[in-house]
Amino acid sequence: MSEDSSGALRGETIDAGEACETSLDEVQTARSPASLATVSTLALATAACGGGGGNTTTSGGAPPTGGTPTPTFLTPETDAQAARFALRAGLSVTPGDIREMRSSGYEPWLDNEIGQSIEQSAAQFLSGLGFEQINDDQWFFRSDPADYMIWRQLLSGRNSVRKRAALALSEFFVVSVNNITIWPSTSIGAYWDILVEGAFGNFRDVLERITLDAAMGVFLNTLGNQKADPATGRVPDENFGREIMQLFSIGLFELNIDGTVRTDGAGDPIETYTNEDVTGIAKVFTGYNYNYSGGIGFTDATFGGNTLPIPDAALLRNPMTANPAFQIPNRGDNHSLEEKSFLGTTIPAGTGAQESLRIAMDTLFNHPNVGPFFGQQMIQRLVTSNPSPGYVQRVAQAFNDNGSGVRGDLRAVFKAVLLDEEALSDQSFENPEFGKLREPILRFAQWGRTFGARSDSGFWLMQNLSQSSNRLGQSPLRSPSVFNFFRPGFTPPNSQAAERELLAPEFQLVNETTAAAYVNFMERTIDGRGSWMFDVRATYSDELEIAHDTPALLDRLDLLLTGNQLSQETRDTIAGALGAQTVTEQSSQEAKLAQIHRAVLMVMVSNDYLVQR
Amino acid sequence: MTQSSDQVPHLFNIGKLHELSRRAFIRRSSQLAFMGGAAGYAMGLAGLSDAAAFETEGGYKALVCVFLLGGNDHANTLIPFDAPNYARYNSIRGGLPNEGGIALSQASLASQVLVPRGDQVLTDDMQLALAPTMPRLKARFDQGVMAPLLNVGPLIVPLTRQQFESGNNSGFPRPAKLFSHNDQQSTWQSGEPEGSVSGWGGRLADLAQVRNTNSMFTAINAAGNAVFLSGDEIQPYSIASQGAIEIRGLDRSIYGSSATSEAVRTLLTAGNGHVFGNDYASANARSIQFSGFINDALSNISLSTDFGTGNSLASQLEVVARLIAARDLIGVRRQVFLVATGGFDNHDGLIGTHEGLLAGVDTALDAFYNAMVEVGAANQVTTFTASDFGRTLASNGDGSDHGWGGHHFVLGGAVNGGRFYGTAPQISVDSDDQVGRGRLLPSTSVDQYSATLGKWLGVTQDQIPIVAPNIGNFNTQDLGLLRNGSAE
Repeated sequence: MSEDSSGALRGETIDAGEACETSLDEVQTARSPASLATVSTLALATAACGGGGGNTTTSGGAPPTGGTPTPTFLTPETDAQAARFALRAGLSVTPGDIREMRSSGYEPWLDNEIGQSIEQSAAQFLSGLGFEQINDDQWFFRSDPADYMIWRQLLSGRNSVRKRAALALSEFFVVSVNNITIWPSTSIGAYWDILVEGAFGNFRDVLERITLDAAMGVFLNTLGNQKADPATGRVPDENFGREIMQLFSIGLFELNIDGTVRTDGAGDPIETYTNEDVTGIAKVFTGYNYNYSGGIGFTDATFGGNTLPIPDAALLRNPMTANPAFQIPNRGDNHSLEEKSFLGTTIPAGTGAQESLRIAMDTLFNHPNVGPFFGQQMIQRLVTSNPSPGYVQRVAQAFNDNGSGVRGDLRAVFKAVLLDEEALSDQSFENPEFGKLREPILRFAQWGRTFGARSDSGFWLMQNLSQSSNRLGQSPLRSPSVFNFFRPGFTPPNSQAAERELLAPEFQLVNETTAAAYVNFMERTIDGRGSWMFDVRATYSDELEIAHDTPALLDRLDLLLTGNQLSQETRDTIAGALGAQTVTEQSSQEAKLAQIHRAVLMVMVSNDYLVQR
Repeated sequence: MTQSSDQVPHLFNIGKLHELSRRAFIRRSSQLAFMGGAAGYAMGLAGLSDAAAFETEGGYKALVCVFLLGGNDHANTLIPFDAPNYARYNSIRGGLPNEGGIALSQASLASQVLVPRGDQVLTDDMQLALAPTMPRLKARFDQGVMAPLLNVGPLIVPLTRQQFESGNNSGFPRPAKLFSHNDQQSTWQSGEPEGSVSGWGGRLADLAQVRNTNSMFTAINAAGNAVFLSGDEIQPYSIASQGAIEIRGLDRSIYGSSATSEAVRTLLTAGNGHVFGNDYASANARSIQFSGFINDALSNISLSTDFGTGNSLASQLEVVARLIAARDLIGVRRQVFLVATGGFDNHDGLIGTHEGLLAGVDTALDAFYNAMVEVGAANQVTTFTASDFGRTLASNGDGSDHGWGGHHFVLGGAVNGGRFYGTAPQISVDSDDQVGRGRLLPSTSVDQYSATLGKWLGVTQDQIPIVAPNIGNFNTQDLGLLRNGSAE
């Protein structure tokens, strides 16, 4: 690799003709020098090639002078490009986002979002509003505050980009509050806080934190998991050991770095583990239970005629422990001291819980599958259901090395996902196979944030919206199982997607029932008549100013809701229906709101909106 | 229910139906050719014409698949009762709950022992009892309309433990991704792990649709989405427990505007040139087109059978029962349904949780059978269970882990009930009919199960490989569970 092209990689103004000839292999070999900038600028260098030139411009940089290069960033050329970027990276977009991105570039906007401090944690919300008190409300058994908490997080407030990443992580490291019976809201709140805090941290840390989290312990049975007992024939519970491999780290088949499946001599996929590996790693997750250290107290509570001591909610924020001294009751060490063999690693007999966990986490984290396995799914969640192998490879490389020799840097991974040439190019936008179906949670969250949703009570009393025939059909942190709401490998049968052999995970939620239910849900959400809308409502303050001006209203909704994805035909259909009513500047607020409701509904049920490109 | 067929409403015009049939014919023909090459089948020409081949005699018939999501613990569903086998069971499961184990007490099983007809003798002279919370299915067994199928699971070829453990996957092929929930759900339903796009219920419906005036209601899913009911041609119709979901205001006005209603209808059903947009538009169009028709048909139906409340499986089976009651109005003579209930992944808290889940299944299935008697379809509707997998016989302390083969039930007036089918596995964690910790090596394949059910529904001998692609690898193609012959 020549000096010239490494200069391009640092973000100087790119001579497309030269930089585009750089093969991926060359890029890989060039990535070791410390002088190279971050992986995201690497992705940007290639972005200018795949993007066909017209898509992006650079800003803030000076032409190369041969001296120290000034960083240069890709900048959206249109408001629509900026909006589309913000809608992938976050939960909604504002005119301010668009202005900022167009002046500073994609990456500085993203860095700024990533760098924002966390506005409010789940723990602050739940404790601050009294949902951790031990009283007759029996919050210790109730999961409805979990819904208030997460909808507050998603429908409102800052940290849109961080929350979007955390939501994607919550659909990879799945825990469902449905299965938690003791302090369910605090438990899932603690889990959400791990994902929010870790969203731009390191995968290795997140993997260990979710492993030791009490909600996960309940969900996948590490909590109370005991070592083998030859006398009774009892063996360790395999559930977490299996799912951490299948779902949370390496997957079932060996992958190439571009996410394609490796095959053996006979052309068959190579399995990453056998059932012996499951029984081997299962021993690592024995001996764990609630951790009462840190002054966890008890308060008597009476319910159903019984009085029981209820532990402080803070218990659920403590990572589980395998140290029996911190467990109540202390039943002695239940961690397996047998030899633990899995994935070619052997932990010698006699190794304790902490060291065994470290070795297991390192083994999983360093498996070559993690980058492509995790990276592909993050691309699917944020950008497109069917990324090219090259796209997966670039993200996997960012996972493997953030440019500073660090593996598992999630900030680098998310930036690689969002800033990739394939995500930003005009060709992708025009490609009828690119993009994904917006999942219902994202549609509802976007509606709330775009139109200024507020809680009358301040408690954000929004319910579990999982019901699929008369609600949204999806509710955050309430997956029906550890396999998420939909599977990354799902293809809807009997569809155009199936004919083209495309993946379309979010379509696992689509059928004749849910398609109709979504329209009904939005119709009652938008105007606030739904029985779930008694506390949270939208203000539509900006839209009220332009309700009488159909083109202006439509322009605004098209930009903020879809990134100008509405076709002319769709716009004409909506404009025609809006034109059937006469709304002027002098019309009543009620008439203006009705017009806004119509416009928002028509945009949000259109197929142009539902497919995020 | 005396409406004649010429009064049945037609949703598709004749040209469309003809086109569907033609495309189905072509696609199925190519599938047959593929199967023939892969499985060594030489298909006769008769097998290529559905209209000529699918059983054409008789009235209505339907299959109802009850999927137990999570992997049912078969060992606490059908429990050995005789002293030697109970002792083995109790020991391997770590004793009773108060002893730290997950065994059910022998006393609780005494009234639930299934005494098979005709002096049937099971492995090791085993007596099997149904779970204590399933008294209704016990009565159906005694009545002769329920039969357990023992140790059934996905297989490509019959396997011995030695072959399985040989690691010789090409010589002794086994289903991919064993012990994994999502993949084994898919394998039970379709023969392939996750990502499969056609299930055997859907392939049955592909073949059966020629009997239906309104073929789009051949496969109906009351449980959301699942690959089971997707055929090569048939797309399942989804229904909610309360009936079809209609979009409010679509025929009148939305937010006080009829123009908005019209525009919403246009927007929902317009393709947009994007693959996903087109697919979503199709779902919307199907939803809008069919919901009113189905609800009109259901509005004529009132069942006296009590399905109770708070039991999701019973609610799903209730809407299935109502659809079956409306079969003539809907214009169908062959149907395949799917209902499902979850919570069976009992790694923890097996005792208590699992018995409660089985109680829900017992109540729901029994109510459904009663409803079929009420609507005069008891002999024409066969209900059967399926699940991700069976579980370990060994205890992990308070639950069990993922396995392979398991026990299932078939219920209906056409069932040769009151006896067992398949081979009872030994109560053991080291015998050759299991692969460790009591994970059962199936002795009957899902293909044999599906072939048996499909044959009863009317699939001809030549068509069976379409439904059960591996059936040629097994000696017995009809397990004898069902009385074959035309529906009355």
